[in-house]
Amino acid sequence: MLSTFLSHQRKSFWRSRNKGGSIATQIIIGFFMLYFLVVAVGIGFGMTIFLPKIFPNQNVMTSFNGIILYYFAFDFLMRLQLQDIPTLSIIPYLHLKIPKRKIINFLNAKALFSAFNIWPFFLFFPFIFIEIWSVDGALVALMYIIAILSIMVFNNYFVLYLKRKSITNVLFTLVGLAIVGIFAALEYYKVISIMVASNYVFSEMADKPYLGLVFPVIASVIFILNSNYLRRNLYVEELGSKQEKKVSTDYAFLNRFGKAGELAALELKLILRHKRPRYSVFMGLFFLLYGYLFYKAPFIAADSFSKMIFAAIFMTGFSVLSYGQFMFAWQSSHFDGLLINKIDFKDYIKGKFLLFTIMCTITTILASFYGFLSPKLLLLHLAAYLYNIGFCTVLVLYLATFNYKRIDITRSASFNFQGMGATQWILMIPFILIPYLIYLPFGYLNRPYLGLMTIAFFGLIMLFMRGYWVNYIAKRLELQRYKIAEGFRE
Amino acid sequence: MILEVKNLQKVYGDKTVVNIEDLQIAAGETVGLVGNNGAGKTTFFRMLLDLIRPTNGEVLSKGENVMQNDNWKNYTASFLDEGFLIDYLTPEEYFIFIGSLHDLSVADVSAYLNQYGEFFNGEILNSGKYIRDFSKGNQNKVGIAAALMQKPEILILDEPFANLDPTTQIRLKKLLKEQTGNMTTFISSHDLNHVTDVCNRIILVEKGQVIKDFKTDENTLKELESYFSA
Repeated sequence: MLSTFLSHQRKSFWRSRNKGGSIATQIIIGFFMLYFLVVAVGIGFGMTIFLPKIFPNQNVMTSFNGIILYYFAFDFLMRLQLQDIPTLSIIPYLHLKIPKRKIINFLNAKALFSAFNIWPFFLFFPFIFIEIWSVDGALVALMYIIAILSIMVFNNYFVLYLKRKSITNVLFTLVGLAIVGIFAALEYYKVISIMVASNYVFSEMADKPYLGLVFPVIASVIFILNSNYLRRNLYVEELGSKQEKKVSTDYAFLNRFGKAGELAALELKLILRHKRPRYSVFMGLFFLLYGYLFYKAPFIAADSFSKMIFAAIFMTGFSVLSYGQFMFAWQSSHFDGLLINKIDFKDYIKGKFLLFTIMCTITTILASFYGFLSPKLLLLHLAAYLYNIGFCTVLVLYLATFNYKRIDITRSASFNFQGMGATQWILMIPFILIPYLIYLPFGYLNRPYLGLMTIAFFGLIMLFMRGYWVNYIAKRLELQRYKIAEGFRE
Repeated sequence: MILEVKNLQKVYGDKTVVNIEDLQIAAGETVGLVGNNGAGKTTFFRMLLDLIRPTNGEVLSKGENVMQNDNWKNYTASFLDEGFLIDYLTPEEYFIFIGSLHDLSVADVSAYLNQYGEFFNGEILNSGKYIRDFSKGNQNKVGIAAALMQKPEILILDEPFANLDPTTQIRLKKLLKEQTGNMTTFISSHDLNHVTDVCNRIILVEKGQVIKDFKTDENTLKELESYFSA
């Protein structure tokens, strides 16, 4: 049965309509994976040499024990953003004579095929075989292996469980985000340390190896939890039989913007009522944590904005970018309807600008809590905000007129590559490069604030030119309308 | 002439899907487009509505080329398929949105919808569902009612009778007949009975070309039946 499922999967991949796009994405992802694997092998074998150099004041075992949980904390965050929910479109199989158990087993087995589940082998096992085996003996080494594999399995299914839950419940996502944020803050302010905790856990285990059996128990618990959730929701979620009363809503605050406001309200409903666009907008909230990685005290003290500008622009503009990269295609199912109705292209584009400005403003306001680290960051965010609403919005909408790929927004939410094309990759390059190009000369001359001002000024000029851009993009859309509509109809 | 089609062609690869040399439709006519699958009916309608670019020729609406400006949208309403519906809205939201494009207030829209209680059969309004959750037949009703609400001078419907229950088919025929005179209607249908009943002119197409174009009378249905059974 498993092999039949696998062969169907393979067929659905090779016979899909936008095969070209998905193969290209797979190849790019494949290269990244290969690169990281090579790095992992290098680190794994080099660990006996690296560890004493990085942590000169402590013994190698303490360092090794310390990094394990650290690694898995990062692993968890990375998985949260990158790991796929394995989907086999199960609807065609549900009514057939296939026990549910088998379908769930397949989904669970498929979930293990992830690069995240290969890295620990290369990272940790060499050290375990080289060092621990010879010092502490085979039993301890075996326990280390069991513990590490168990945490890996735990992360694997816990992330999937969270993802499956969070799709159905936005509140869940927000709570999870808050918890991760609190831990990041505690680590940042040195209130707690994952390293110390990790060392404690694993040195205890090295002393009393039987303690290591706790890990597989925890992993099994989450595995069972995940399977049970799947079993219960195998139809409820996928077949959408959850019937709740839908109500009409009216966003009064958008009414003052006339026709453009109504179109923005229409799109706001689109975002809130579909999984995939909602997910891509709310991803922006996850990226609000980027600041913790990039805003280091020495950078802030030295005004070296060049090292932080990427994070600032990414945080304030991510929702625009992640939603905007598929622009117009979100409406592919009713694009014909928009064309034949009395909608002016200019109003249509203005509505998009309005929506982007609102999204950007909200994320910028949320990101302003970094002002507690230093008020300088608020200036940085202001510059990034103006750059985003002035320039990024124009860029996104301009490139949207080249996007002819249909998206079925009712399909699965996360990490869905349908509708991906060259446009999405091209989008990233100017988005990141331009602020650097503007800032760099000022950075070299040691005039960081002048650099920020220039970025902000650039954004402002583009903002004042918005009328011009609206006309320009509306013209382009008018030219491209047949091509876009045709692509969306497929 | 409210609608004129001149030398209209659509070619995909080496296949000519639509090829209509000259077609004139006068204001107030109710025209039925009849033809088998693949005759080019939908493609033709899409060109009337400026959704696809003709390979050659032009469509003039009140003398203006539909490709060149948007004036025709002020007096043309249409429903071809579900692609015209914004399916994540409730029907009320959709009607209000379409109404707002024609400067109708929320009150205007609800007053208008009140007349359609019978047509909707109590299933559409206040149902607590999004349009996408309705059956195809009910989605059709929403699309047709939204089109009629715009009080258009030109109405274009693609297979309006498909997927409708018998009661609604009869009600729709009544609605369309009542509107005749002040509105130019252009519908396509596979149902010869309905189309001869509603329309006063029939255009028969095959492989993209107009084969017959005539006024309906008592013999029309027989003629069409014999044509299609041949």
